[in-house]
Amino acid sequence: MIRLQGVSKTVTSGDRPLTILHSTDLFIPSGQFVAVMGPSGSGKSTLLGLIAGLDAPTTGTIEIDGIDITTLGEDDLAKLRGEAIGFVFQFFHLIPSLTAYENVLVPMEIARRRDAPRRAAERLAEIGLEARGHHYPSQLSGGEQQRVAIARALSNDPPILLADEPTGNLDAANGRHIMELLGAIHARGVTLVLATHDVELAASADVRLAMRDGRILNAEFAEPRRRQWSS
Amino acid sequence: MVFVAKMALRELRASWKRLLFFFACIAIGVASIVSLRSLTQNVRVAITGQAKALTAADIVISSNRPFSSDALAKIEQRLREYSVTERTNAVQTDTMVRPATGGRAVARMVEVRGVEPAFPFYGTVVLQSGGTYAHALLQNRGLLVRPELLAQLGLKVGDALILGGAPYTIRDVVLVEPGRRLGGFSFGPPVLMDRADLLKSGLLSTFGRGRYEIMLRVPERSVAPLLGRLRRDFRDFPVGARSYRTNEDNLSEDLMRAENYLSLIGLVIVVLGGIGVSSVIRVFVQQKLKAVAVLKCVGGTNPQILAIYLAQVIALGLAGSAVGVGLAGVVVAWAPAFVGNLPPGTVEIQYELTAAAVLQGLGIGVLVSLLFSLVPLLQVRHVKPSLLLRETSVARRRDWLEIAVIALVVSALAGLAIWQAASMRVGLAVTAGFIGVTIVLHLTGRLLVRTVRPLARSRWFPLRHAVLRVGRPGNQTRAILLAVGLGSFFMIGVRLLQTNLLDSFNVQVREDGPDMFLIDIQQDQVDGVVALFTSTTPSLPPPRPIPVLRARVAGVRGREVNMESYQEVRGRGSLGREYVITYRPTLEDNETLVEGDFWSATNDGQPQVSIEVGIHERFRIMVGDIMRFEVVGRTIEARVASIRRVNWRDPRRGGFMFVFRPGTFEQAPHAYIAPAKGPDDPSVRGRLQHDLVARYPNVSVIDVSEILETVRKVVRGVTLAISVVGAIVLFSGILILVGSVSMTKFQKVYEAAIFKTLGASTRSIAGMIVLEYGALGLLAGAVGSIGALALSWTVSRFALDIPWEPSPIVNLAGIAITGMLVCGIGVTSSLDVLRRKPLATLRAE
Ligand SMILES: Nc1ncnc2c1ncn2[C@@H]1O[C@H](COP(=O)(O)OP(=O)(O)O)[C@@H](O)[C@H]1O
Ligand SMILES: [Mg+2]
Repeated sequence: MIRLQGVSKTVTSGDRPLTILHSTDLFIPSGQFVAVMGPSGSGKSTLLGLIAGLDAPTTGTIEIDGIDITTLGEDDLAKLRGEAIGFVFQFFHLIPSLTAYENVLVPMEIARRRDAPRRAAERLAEIGLEARGHHYPSQLSGGEQQRVAIARALSNDPPILLADEPTGNLDAANGRHIMELLGAIHARGVTLVLATHDVELAASADVRLAMRDGRILNAEFAEPRRRQWSS
Repeated sequence: MVFVAKMALRELRASWKRLLFFFACIAIGVASIVSLRSLTQNVRVAITGQAKALTAADIVISSNRPFSSDALAKIEQRLREYSVTERTNAVQTDTMVRPATGGRAVARMVEVRGVEPAFPFYGTVVLQSGGTYAHALLQNRGLLVRPELLAQLGLKVGDALILGGAPYTIRDVVLVEPGRRLGGFSFGPPVLMDRADLLKSGLLSTFGRGRYEIMLRVPERSVAPLLGRLRRDFRDFPVGARSYRTNEDNLSEDLMRAENYLSLIGLVIVVLGGIGVSSVIRVFVQQKLKAVAVLKCVGGTNPQILAIYLAQVIALGLAGSAVGVGLAGVVVAWAPAFVGNLPPGTVEIQYELTAAAVLQGLGIGVLVSLLFSLVPLLQVRHVKPSLLLRETSVARRRDWLEIAVIALVVSALAGLAIWQAASMRVGLAVTAGFIGVTIVLHLTGRLLVRTVRPLARSRWFPLRHAVLRVGRPGNQTRAILLAVGLGSFFMIGVRLLQTNLLDSFNVQVREDGPDMFLIDIQQDQVDGVVALFTSTTPSLPPPRPIPVLRARVAGVRGREVNMESYQEVRGRGSLGREYVITYRPTLEDNETLVEGDFWSATNDGQPQVSIEVGIHERFRIMVGDIMRFEVVGRTIEARVASIRRVNWRDPRRGGFMFVFRPGTFEQAPHAYIAPAKGPDDPSVRGRLQHDLVARYPNVSVIDVSEILETVRKVVRGVTLAISVVGAIVLFSGILILVGSVSMTKFQKVYEAAIFKTLGASTRSIAGMIVLEYGALGLLAGAVGSIGALALSWTVSRFALDIPWEPSPIVNLAGIAITGMLVCGIGVTSSLDVLRRKPLATLRAE
């Protein structure tokens, strides 16, 4: 469950304040698949970053499963992310000095899971890269890197997965592969928020939000599953 | 914890190449400090031994008359307090000797020293026969004499000498005698005899002039406290005390200074290594920002992430230190090849890696790694995971934790500095210099950005972009300024100190100093003696004889003091002793006028005297006071016309407490002495001495060339060691600077490639780099150079206690070399970009 109330973000670029996300209310129930659509620069990444606690909002409150994350300190936020929120970036952002296997392993180690090595191997198997675990990111293709990134995001079984244009840097075939993976994950009951400007990718979402200039303009609901939300 | 260790290992596996320079800095620093430590510890033992041999004891208590029972009781009490059990007495006086039979029928003035069986506590009496010295040689009226006395009297070992009316046998010839002063004014060649014989001879009571000494062997830690105690006890008595460290001969002081200087150098090398470390870590953190953001995104907390990088720093620090210790082992094994030319028998140096030095090296290596990386590493706390969504520069904010850490690091550094330099003053001076220069460099960086900003409108492409690059946020201007500024600060500082230190080394051991003293030249022999020298050694400057008389102060009538009789003067301690006085029209090179005239144009016929500043300060005698002197049976009243300061480090022309205006003593009977530089060729030297004695049998020659040569060899060895170590500092410092500056190239390389893609010529890109790096180098060099002046002044003045002279050449050369060096590194490290096709660089990024 994700709830935003009066959330806005203002940055100072140069010496003028610039509002890049206007006051937004949003409710995403658990298990829902939300696609955030809009052209480049419309505020998609900003929104996702705020939900993940990667950035702090200027106003408003953000609740994740009943916890107001705007009151948490950096280290508590980090812990929450490690356990409850997976994030997939457009540019993969694997740690270049670690192998694929280790990249998947790290979040579990941070969460002090005993079974980390076994689970990391399982995660790699799920994305079909069990044979490439000892490879460094620089030795993997873009699509492979993104799959590792997804495995990493899921390593602690977070109930929420945020994906910021995960296919934006991939060719069509690789993009489809990634979308299939994400679909399967959503099917397991994970709340999925996907930022994209690809209409096709957004087609299977429960809700499609259209953003422009830092505002959510309207929402489209997929049939037949109509769920409550507010804007 | 396990996670931190695992992550640190994984990261190291990938980034050790980038941290190689870190590793090298620590290894160089630790290698230098461990080898220096081992060497100085070994050299210290040797130097201390040498200084003790020059004194023959740890502490010598002396007086110009027999110790009173009160004084002896006091001394006994102090010796018990400091549990000193070993002591021996000695007594010294001037007297006449003549051959018993045979030889020349002339009498000769000598300085006899009577010693007891325990003499000497340190050093060895070297005999010409090659035999070993034992007190038995002196017993039953035995004498040990100098070769020149035998030559002058035409005697040989085994002959008899009459001394105080009784015959004594010459048992051997002394070449080196511990505890005998270097040169200076003695009244004749030294003679060694049994103290009991000397006391029985009646010489002391007839002449009444003696120097009574109690020599002590004292546990090392008690030397300074006991010395201070004794000096306080006898402040108002004519009893003095000195230790082997405060020897009248400045040699031991010079050696101690050399040792302090070497400790300081060790410290400087470590700090230079630290500067390198901090440059690497700065760049390293820049390159790790994204990995840090990812770790934070998947749940890593600040303490965990900091711990991961600190663990890497410690691991590398340890490994670097270990390699450094290994290197030090090699250096120490090779050291004898460099410093090995010390004369045998003077300084025996054991070259070995001491366990203490190894432990210290490891400790210091890890400590310095940590201290210098802590502040740059703290920056990872400010990395926001939103960095992964879009490129943002990490804001540098100062918070309380960082300020606290800086304070901690600074105090740890100060502690390290004090420990390493083995001196509070030096440690604090170095730390203060470090902080001061850092602050000035920060301000300079800001000022630079502000002052060059208008140049950004320049029409000349390289200048415009150089200015833009210097001023842009997040660039390396500050990093370069800091590393280079601090580096040049320490290197120029060391260079300046070295110059001053070597200059201060005892003037009397310089090659052109006198190595012979002619004594008792009669007035009508002066011209002849000088002529003999000029004809034998035309290339050397002729001796300039100095008229000397013996005088006693018999009274003072002054503004602040009034002493009516000699009895009263005697009560004032050393003022009551016998002084050697002279007269001359002008100041000598080693004198400076403090007050009054030397001499005034008007002469009212009253005798005038110039006093040394020590007399003025100790006895409060002023210009204008009237002093009464007893000189060769006459009493003379003289007005104090001036106060002079004698540079006692340069005794080539002697040091006189009282110098009279010419006109008073010319008619009185008096003799001359002449310090002279004799020929180096032993046969010429022997002939000259022989001729002198043959023609002027009353003239005594004291030859100090052997002692001087020994001392010179030690000083040469130490000088060499200081120069070698200075060169090592320069070399490793430059290596570290080169590394630090070339670390900053990454960003520039990328930009240069883009500029090229956009059509900029190689020449204008090179111009841009030269302007930017050149300006930064010159600026950093200038700040460092000015700081170095202050550092060398402070350390010279307050720690090494040597006179300080500016040497502008070192400063200017320092600035120029720094500028060129930084410029050169900037261009060379960008060479591949300048030559390569831009696409290769862009793809590599
Ligand atoms: N720190 C910042 N400073 C200035 N402008 C910013 C900053 N962060 C984001 N923006 C601006 O906010 C807008 C929204 O950005 P973003 O959320 O990345 O859009 P999207 O992901 O939809 O492409 C963009 O116009 C971007 O330039
Ligand atoms: Mg975006």
